[in-house]
Amino acid sequence: MDYSDNIAIIGSGIAGMEASLMLSKAGKKVTLIEKLSLIGGKTIKNEETFPSLDCSTCLVAPIQQEILQDGNINVHTVSEVSKISGNAGNFKVEINKKARYVNLEACLGCGACYPVCPISQMNEWEENLTKKKAIYVPCSGSLPNVPVIDADKCLNLSGQEDCKKCEEACMFGAIDFTEKDEKIELKAGAILAATGYDLLDVSSMENLGYGELLEVYTAMEFERLFAENGPTEGKLVMRDGETIPSSVAIIHCVGRSETNYCSNVCCTASSKHAHFIHHKLADAKVYNIYSDICLPDKTYQKFHQDVKENSSKFIYQSDKDKMKITKKQGKINIKYLDNKDETQDLKVDMVILANALIPAKGSDELAKVLGVKQDRFGFIEAQPFRVGSVNTSKTGIFVAGCIEGPKDIQNSVIQSEAAVAGILSLLKDK
Amino acid sequence: MSEKVGIFVCECGPNIASKVDIDKIKQNISELEDFQDKELVVKNHKLLCSVEGKKFLEKEIKDNNITHLVVAACSPRDHDTTFMEICKKTQLNPFMYQMVNIREQCAWVTPDKEQATKKAVRMIHGGMDRVLYQQALEEKHLDSNPDVLIVGGGIAGMEAALTLAGEDRLVFLIEKNEKLGGKSARLTKLLPRQGVSLNVLHQKISEIENNQYIKVFTNTELESAVGFLGNFEIEIKDVNKPDKTTELLAGAIVVATGFELLDHKVLDSYNVKTDDEVYNALEIEEMLSTSGKIIMQNGKEPKKVALIHCVGRPEVGYCSKVCCTYLLKVAKLIKEQSSQIEVTQLYKHMCLPHKQDENFYDKVQGQGIKFIRIKDSIIKGTKIDYTDISDVKQKMDVDMIITGTAMIPTKQTKQLAEELNIELHETGFYQEAHLKIDPVSTNTDGVFVIGGAHGPTGITETMLQAQAASGKIFTQLIPGEKITPEVKVSEILEAYCTGCKTCLDVCGFGAIYFDDDKGISIVNEAICRGCGNCVGSCPSGSIVSKHFTNPQLYQEVKEVLR
Repeated sequence: MDYSDNIAIIGSGIAGMEASLMLSKAGKKVTLIEKLSLIGGKTIKNEETFPSLDCSTCLVAPIQQEILQDGNINVHTVSEVSKISGNAGNFKVEINKKARYVNLEACLGCGACYPVCPISQMNEWEENLTKKKAIYVPCSGSLPNVPVIDADKCLNLSGQEDCKKCEEACMFGAIDFTEKDEKIELKAGAILAATGYDLLDVSSMENLGYGELLEVYTAMEFERLFAENGPTEGKLVMRDGETIPSSVAIIHCVGRSETNYCSNVCCTASSKHAHFIHHKLADAKVYNIYSDICLPDKTYQKFHQDVKENSSKFIYQSDKDKMKITKKQGKINIKYLDNKDETQDLKVDMVILANALIPAKGSDELAKVLGVKQDRFGFIEAQPFRVGSVNTSKTGIFVAGCIEGPKDIQNSVIQSEAAVAGILSLLKDK
Repeated sequence: MSEKVGIFVCECGPNIASKVDIDKIKQNISELEDFQDKELVVKNHKLLCSVEGKKFLEKEIKDNNITHLVVAACSPRDHDTTFMEICKKTQLNPFMYQMVNIREQCAWVTPDKEQATKKAVRMIHGGMDRVLYQQALEEKHLDSNPDVLIVGGGIAGMEAALTLAGEDRLVFLIEKNEKLGGKSARLTKLLPRQGVSLNVLHQKISEIENNQYIKVFTNTELESAVGFLGNFEIEIKDVNKPDKTTELLAGAIVVATGFELLDHKVLDSYNVKTDDEVYNALEIEEMLSTSGKIIMQNGKEPKKVALIHCVGRPEVGYCSKVCCTYLLKVAKLIKEQSSQIEVTQLYKHMCLPHKQDENFYDKVQGQGIKFIRIKDSIIKGTKIDYTDISDVKQKMDVDMIITGTAMIPTKQTKQLAEELNIELHETGFYQEAHLKIDPVSTNTDGVFVIGGAHGPTGITETMLQAQAASGKIFTQLIPGEKITPEVKVSEILEAYCTGCKTCLDVCGFGAIYFDDDKGISIVNEAICRGCGNCVGSCPSGSIVSKHFTNPQLYQEVKEVLR
């Protein structure tokens, strides 16, 4: 039977990238579809990875470069899958590719276009801790190192003014206001869904004060705050722009009761955050408030132990749903139940909420487009009656990484490599 | 053929052109005294990495018959590959080219234009001196064997065998016991989906036995393995008749030798005799498979059972990941056997790392099972002294204790690691090539580690790891295709080697072996990855790293520092 040698991979995080490179090595063509303007996924938002404290960018940048230089891999950024038809071996995939308005071939990434742009808006990739222009790269070191123009905000593209400041500043003629959104159709022998995770919105959890109290951060906000290429260039300064916290509490299992699962990576990430704070601000007091500690790898406990001994005090709370975070006399007050079920107060300058991992935004739509089943949490389900599977409910469509459930980097990579085995076996048999 | 050195300066649009004087660079380079006897082609281009720029460079190399090429542009990280690929389209060997970074290391960091121009000239001069000392290197293409040896016939090894085997790839599956199935065969139910029974496992065993592309060797152990990815020569031996060995050839080796459970009797906090009613997980599974239920040695059902979590965890230094859910399963089984039995879980942290686990935990909690969070415990027979989470000392006397003991490496792990030249993690399990981004590979190319041998893993993860290793092998050993080892490898100059063997210790890839007849070390170029460790360690200076030889580096540095 005739089948397509092309594989469509949705999502360019660590799972999507690993599968792309492996399939290319096996002589397949890969169409890598990413909805953002840069590839790399969530891994690159972390400054260092637990527990070896490898610099994430150093781990991932060579992989990103290899992807961009690989002749077998066709990368579509600012793109989303809109329709799938056909069957294993012969899927027809429709992609909505948004206009970038900057020519990927011509642009060198010199950065001359941003300073001249008159528009300023929040940078959500940086967890809204900083601003960006209407023409922007989400962070320094973005790959491809080519900006994108936000058509809704751009004066020219939104029809507000005939502004051509970026075009004039560009010495390579890379800006193209005439670029149009495209519909791309392609064939694929198999599809891999690897769109990752998002973090639970904690603003509705009133007891934790997030959104109202500027001193309360989510784990990802803290990652960016700590990042050398982040909004403060790694300086641990709070939202007011001047306060350096002298005490920080890290709250575990935030949103676990809501999601009804353990998010697998927050205990390790929280230990890492405690380590980060202690090493940047040696005098700061660091507290981890936990109920259960989950360290599911042979390499994790040692680091955690080290953090416990040197960087942070670990406080047990008996009922995580009884916690209440408020502000009293300029300090953040955390009310919690201790090991004897007695109410305690802890006063700190800063709070980090280790919030739950949830299926990436758009998972429901993606599942519908792909025609695959989701589990009751909304994750895309691996075949429930085959233990240890990366097949979805539809033959030829595979799943890898956090879109299947919360997991750490190595288990995302393992699923991705397993999916490659599944895809190659499937296409061989066709 | 006379030397003809091509120097191409990329302007990188204004990035380089506006920060240095391109014409002056070209002029200074053309007038270099030590190059007056060489033919030079010195040109600039607006953007060498552009489509048009690449064509320009290719044509220039061909038309001018360039023998040595220097490209002064951006960071090699951006475009080294780009320019090497261009060389490959011409007569020029890609190793006769050198990239000089006059953007990040010069234009962008040296604000004074005159200074930057001088600096760029020096850097390019260094590149020119270096390239004259470079040597053409040719890629080698080696035949490779797509077949795979799998060590261990448990669930991991079986899953890998079934994924890998096919008409163009044989699998040799060796198992030291007389039967396939490993420890999973001793489990009664899989977790946490209680509906999935072990029929899956028995089905796999029969699939393997009926698969003509899988050769199973039971009662068999690995005797020796030498070689490298694509070409391993393997000897296996019959456990019962150690003299009986068989030779095999394979391109890759998958280690799936599983785990063992820590014996709680070795722990200081466990004062337990063999005939006490204290069991670990595997003993419970055996009990369930022989008698179908949980009973004491006197044949009676226990009235009170305590399940203790994290047994041996402080001693081994890691969480075994599956014990919490395992003990929940056992608690549920006991309650289903008889709701009259009082079941208590003594735990420190409930570790439920998979999305289905919490729901299972909720269900088990609803079955009248007592959960007590403790700080520590001391066991004497079936008497338990423990400190609860609120620091109160408590006592408990039960009829039976079931321990969630730590998973530990098998006794053979170390020996096999030495045989296969793979590293061990400080916990005693095998060490992955990279914990995060290469978790089933090892430091030796072509050798993979999966399942319990890799570290504590549940069945789901074990099977995924098996498929992951298969995926790696599918992409690294393609039937009928040759493999191309690293070109920039180390070479030992026979005449200078004193046979001190220092290099053997520093090589992390097992690429160096000692030739007893000649009394010298020799690099296996198919394994060497060119890290240069041996070069630095060699006291007699007899090891050369190709493309990074001392003269090459010296020439470059000399000019830059002049």
